[in-house]
Amino acid sequence: MSNKDLSRRTALGAGAGVIAAGTLTSPAVFGQPTTTLRCAFWDHWVPTGNGALRQLAQQFGERNRVNVNLDFITTVGNQLQLTAAAQAQSRSGHDILSLSPWDIGAYADQLEPVDDVMGRLIAKYGPPNPAAEFLAKHRGAWRAIPATSGTQNKPACVRFDLMQEHAGIDVRAMWPAENRAGPTANTWTWDTFLRAAEACHRAGFPFGLPMGQFTDSVDWVGALFESYGARVTDERGNPTIRGNQQLRQVMDYAVRLSRFLPNDVWAWDDAANNRALISGRSSLIFNPPSAWAVAKRDAPQVAERCWTIPMPAGPRGRFLAYLPWNSGIWSFGRNKNVAKQFLEFISQREAAELTTNTSNGYDIPPFGTMSDFKIWETEGPPVGTVFNYPNKPHHQATAHIAFAPAPPELASQMYIQALNTKVIARVAQGGETIEQALSWLEREITNMRRGG
Amino acid sequence: MALDATEGRLAVARARKPGNTLQRFARRRSTIAFLMTLPLIAVIGGLVAWPAMYAMYLSTLNRRMTTFIGLENFRILLDSETFRMVIWQSCFFAVTAVLLKALIGFWLAHMLHHIPTKGQRKWRGMLLVPWVIPPALSTLGWWWMFEPSYSSINFLLNVFGVPSVPWLGEPWWARISVIIVNVWYGAPFFMIMYLAALKSVPEQLYEAAAIDGATSWQRLRYVTLPMMRNIISITVLFSLIVTFANYDIVRVLTNGGPRDLTHVFASYAFQVGVLSGNIPRGAAVSLFMFPLLAVIAYFVLRGINQRNKEEA
Amino acid sequence: MSAATGRAIPGIYHKAGSLRAERRWALWSAYASLIFAAIIMLAPPFYMLLTSLKTSAEVADLGANPWIVRNPTLENYWAIISNPMFRGFMYNSIKITVVVVCLTMVISILAAFALARMRFWGSQMLATGVFLTYLVPDTLLFIPLYQIVGSLGLLNSTWGLVLVYPTLTVPFCTWIMIGYFASIPKELDEAALIDGASWSQMLLKIFIPVALPGIIAATIFAFTVSWAAFVYPTAFITRPDEMPLTIGVVSQLIRGDTFAWGQLMAGALLAALPPVIVYAFLMDYYIAGLTAGATKG
Repeated sequence: MSNKDLSRRTALGAGAGVIAAGTLTSPAVFGQPTTTLRCAFWDHWVPTGNGALRQLAQQFGERNRVNVNLDFITTVGNQLQLTAAAQAQSRSGHDILSLSPWDIGAYADQLEPVDDVMGRLIAKYGPPNPAAEFLAKHRGAWRAIPATSGTQNKPACVRFDLMQEHAGIDVRAMWPAENRAGPTANTWTWDTFLRAAEACHRAGFPFGLPMGQFTDSVDWVGALFESYGARVTDERGNPTIRGNQQLRQVMDYAVRLSRFLPNDVWAWDDAANNRALISGRSSLIFNPPSAWAVAKRDAPQVAERCWTIPMPAGPRGRFLAYLPWNSGIWSFGRNKNVAKQFLEFISQREAAELTTNTSNGYDIPPFGTMSDFKIWETEGPPVGTVFNYPNKPHHQATAHIAFAPAPPELASQMYIQALNTKVIARVAQGGETIEQALSWLEREITNMRRGG
Repeated sequence: MALDATEGRLAVARARKPGNTLQRFARRRSTIAFLMTLPLIAVIGGLVAWPAMYAMYLSTLNRRMTTFIGLENFRILLDSETFRMVIWQSCFFAVTAVLLKALIGFWLAHMLHHIPTKGQRKWRGMLLVPWVIPPALSTLGWWWMFEPSYSSINFLLNVFGVPSVPWLGEPWWARISVIIVNVWYGAPFFMIMYLAALKSVPEQLYEAAAIDGATSWQRLRYVTLPMMRNIISITVLFSLIVTFANYDIVRVLTNGGPRDLTHVFASYAFQVGVLSGNIPRGAAVSLFMFPLLAVIAYFVLRGINQRNKEEA
Repeated sequence: MSAATGRAIPGIYHKAGSLRAERRWALWSAYASLIFAAIIMLAPPFYMLLTSLKTSAEVADLGANPWIVRNPTLENYWAIISNPMFRGFMYNSIKITVVVVCLTMVISILAAFALARMRFWGSQMLATGVFLTYLVPDTLLFIPLYQIVGSLGLLNSTWGLVLVYPTLTVPFCTWIMIGYFASIPKELDEAALIDGASWSQMLLKIFIPVALPGIIAATIFAFTVSWAAFVYPTAFITRPDEMPLTIGVVSQLIRGDTFAWGQLMAGALLAALPPVIVYAFLMDYYIAGLTAGATKG
């Protein structure tokens, strides 16, 4: 059953939402394929999203007489991270594996350096965005290739009708579907955001901002912290909590903001904010377009009133919550050269554009020069709703991953344990003072570093 | 004992055979017996005892499993406020859930016992359904019923004018939700065990008590409970162990949240050990269960032995 | 005593009358409690059934009463059944369960026979050991087993699960079988021995047929536990094509940030169906198995 035969409309219209994912071998190739390349990629959350990789695998396989086996592994229940851990530990597994941002550093020694491939890609397309580089480069070498499929931003997806009516902000004028910022764009700061949150909360359509333990929560709070310049550790991993004024400032802001959020955001998983938007209850979420894509199918009256705009700016600038996936090649694998060729193939501009188109504009290529695909202009309704989803130059925003610049082994623990949302929760839900919560944070970080 | 008597008779039956054949027979019998129990020993030794030892060894290693750090993992865990809360949460969860299960199970068994025997079978069948469905799957159903935006339970509450409850969003409500699901799942088991025990109480005792003028409450207290004492204690202790080590419900329903306030040992071990990549510390978390389980197991064994003595 | 007897005659009549009234009240309150309990026990699966019959749009509709299905549809079930991934889960579960149940019964019956009938050094210790093993929870062992199974290269394989599931089933099944075998009268043994039967013949021709209810109960127990196991698959298996139903339904039918609740509930119900069917047809054996652990000592 080949997925490319299902058009997007059929897939969405059937209400099936779940397409068979699993192992797929490429069809018969002329002559005997000499190698089998086993790949495990992130299972896409957009219903049709895996189709691009299947197509690319088939093209590559035909051209190079390689059998490309694709497995799609979900991150629900951390399945993909668990797979990486198991494969690293047993030193056997797929040739190529999707790695979550901080995992590259954790497994750096077991990943094959890919400087040659990255060198050619950078020569062709310019540098990838700094956050991706920070995560993928270790001890001077590129250990993984930033992927397009799955890489996502989490800007604000806004119900522009509710924002206009209750908060008096016209987001479409602020961030129109053109390569320029609107006249009022520089008023889009966290302070404005707070006022809008209060207004929408009073009107009964609160912002749906998760404060739980999953990536949607950790990512946006990470961007918030960075925009205030509040870092919890330095590059070595030493806690920088004492006397950190920016940290206290942003904590105070977060606590004030959380008063205008639904009272159960502390337990929200990655899908709860989607559900809040689709049900019509929420006026703003920080999410890639997957929520809007499902709303198109299940609640079209909500979907046609959505508009994506960049995150608000803080005192230290505008930072964008960014979740890059990367494809790593295990150094104990057998088909490393073929793997490198395949990864270079899928990183080309045409392949990246196919990937993004197939996912309705969800996937963000790692190279800045690729932020101008047509799909973001034409997706709708309403047309232009995801124009500002990728990080465009006129946003003046920097991609950021939560807990950077801490060392990867510490950062991956802080990320999984969601220390940033937890420290806010201790004040807002647990009733502690900011000082108490911060000293808890320092103890937690110290404990994480011990016994390592 | 009976077996010795059998041996004696066998010896007599084979008295014609010379003595050393009898010895050979005895030897052969133990080798056969040993061979028959060999798979069992392999399972217990290789898959239970050896991993338990290995867990103890693992818990003394550092994160990358390269050096030996002694009891450091345990010290770090006890220093961590989150883990201290996990200890408290596990105990609270186990004790409360088992208490509720025992009470509800007993009440249901009593009710079942009082209806005519013909009807008992179908009621028993209906009430045991929660126990039959795999807990991970029924917890999915509960999760959907508790879900913040779409909760059907909140819908019913709203119909009666009660405000919506943040079942999974606030720490105490989340704990209560976990307990509710566990009690829903486990009470039928208690009901079945207590029903079997109730049926084994001789009817004459009740009649004698009734003649002596005992009220139903007194009958319960002076006849039923003492007769069931052993079953009650064994079931409660056994359930304590199982509830204490519970994983499915917490993992599917709350994943330990919010803020790690519904974590129990098993789910926290999974989060710390497997998810965060610190296997030795995860092993240390699991091992914390061991002392408490050992104490409870001791009491269970004692109860069973007492029962055997009573029966024999 | 005559004063008491004097008072007792009208007292007995009073008691007889009140006994009937008491019994009627007890009966009435018993039924009321049972109905209430049945509603609560059956509500979640019932709601799961309702959700599985709704379309995705109806599930997402917030304004409506969630306890009513307006446009029932079987599309969720069709989608699940025609999903090869789900069929794979079902196949894996069946494969694992059948193998584990066979393994368990062979191990348990042999060991229980030896422990119940044959005297040998350490048999008492082993019997106690079996029971203690039953008390060791799987969540204590899953981390070291994760390492061990990993070093054997059996992570992400159903055979790894087949290797570790017996820890869940063998102790209790052995325990049950010891109880059943011990209750078989010794005269049967002696008669067989005198007739010249060997131990294996005794086991096959006498013990197994006589203890058949116990064997069925133990088999049902092993089946239920293997089918419902969740801890080990969660830790050991991450590839969808090796997953059994419990972990497969929970993790794979959830599409990241959009849950297909209708399909999820349909999948969960289909996955829960085999144990429920076994239970429905073999309920008495099922319950006998449960109670055997405690009442048969």
